[in-house]
Amino acid sequence: MEWLGSTILKTLWKPTINSVRTRFHADKTRLVRRYGYRELLWRGGLMPRIGARKLPIPEYRPANVWTERRALFGQNDYIDILGTGALHPVKTLYTVPSWIRGVSGEEYHVLLRKKKMWAKTGSPQTRPTKWKELEKRMGYLYRKLNRKTKTGPSPD
Amino acid sequence: MVTLLINAIKRLQVSTLLPIRTYVSVNPQSIPLDNSLVVTKKEWKFPPAYTKPREVWIENLDTLEEKKLGLFELHPSVYATTPRIDIIHRNVVWQRKYRWVSWAHTKTRAEVRGGGKKPWPQKGLGRARHGSIRSPLFRGGGVAHGPRSGKTHFFMLPFHLRIQGLTSTLSTKLAQDDLHIVKDLELPSDEPDFLLDLIESRNWGPSVLIVDDSDLAPRNITAAADAIAHVNIMPVYGLNVYSMLKHDTLILTLSAAAKIEERILQHLHSITTDKEASFKLNQV
Repeated sequence: MEWLGSTILKTLWKPTINSVRTRFHADKTRLVRRYGYRELLWRGGLMPRIGARKLPIPEYRPANVWTERRALFGQNDYIDILGTGALHPVKTLYTVPSWIRGVSGEEYHVLLRKKKMWAKTGSPQTRPTKWKELEKRMGYLYRKLNRKTKTGPSPD
Repeated sequence: MVTLLINAIKRLQVSTLLPIRTYVSVNPQSIPLDNSLVVTKKEWKFPPAYTKPREVWIENLDTLEEKKLGLFELHPSVYATTPRIDIIHRNVVWQRKYRWVSWAHTKTRAEVRGGGKKPWPQKGLGRARHGSIRSPLFRGGGVAHGPRSGKTHFFMLPFHLRIQGLTSTLSTKLAQDDLHIVKDLELPSDEPDFLLDLIESRNWGPSVLIVDDSDLAPRNITAAADAIAHVNIMPVYGLNVYSMLKHDTLILTLSAAAKIEERILQHLHSITTDKEASFKLNQV
């Protein structure tokens, strides 16, 4: 009779059963190996520099882009077009020393011009070492260009 | 369902819309409706052949609210050419390079002090052979192939490319609504705040370049602009591509706009072989 009753109950009432896990892998206690040993080698990926002295990264100080020099950069560069035409823009490069203003060339050519313009000044007497080095460098470059370097293709 | 809807309607916050601020610098309220507008028709020495002149508003600077004082014509060959950004770029590169001198310097083995004596005998010590303690191999020795002071990057951009750079940039500024023509530079006060408010109310952007025909601008605007780093005044002959690009808005006075036009048109319609010739150092 009891069997019949339980069968009837089973046919009428069928609860859904979910198995509930009470024991997970993470909860298991494990054998602690090498107890008391502290791993000195960092195994957490890329170096984070935790605790160590930080690398000296300079503080970011953005430059003031509106100082007078930067705000007016390029002024008078078109003075030969927009002005009266009497002045060339190279003449207005006041921040560049006159002996190198508008010069383009190899080191030797720049030095040649520098020497030519400085010879008239008191520079050879007031700065003799600089003058000597200038002449020495020019001599070296002269020998290098004329005796040890192949000349380029002929212009003709 | 109905209650849900009612609740939703209750939660709606009915608010009046703020007037949307359009970022266009032409304010329709500033245009006078009566016939007080001055429409200037220009008689050019070289009138435009195929394109129409561009009309721009003449604005005022003496009040905070904008007033359109009239219409002004700009020559299309100067203010409405094809905006060649490649040429603008070449102009900027030229402006940066032609004044650039690198002063980086290193001493060669010949220039470093000392090093004349052979440091140790050639043979018998078991050491490497050396002839000078200033050789590039030594610490404190000279530098081989180092930078030598006074390295220039000078070149001149061809004359007509520079003219085209100016016209391209001016055209770009006009097309992008960044070029404004004002009657004159008279301000009612020399307070920098007034100028800042003016720029703010007219949507002139973060920086302004003011160009006048004369070397001496009125006292009020020079005093105001002197205190503000991003508002600068230039004479016509100081105008250049770099500054036009660095500043957001370009303000030209009537006479400055006419002067720029006259100068550039003059060059566009004259023989410029002497200016096209390659740059000689002794020509300046």
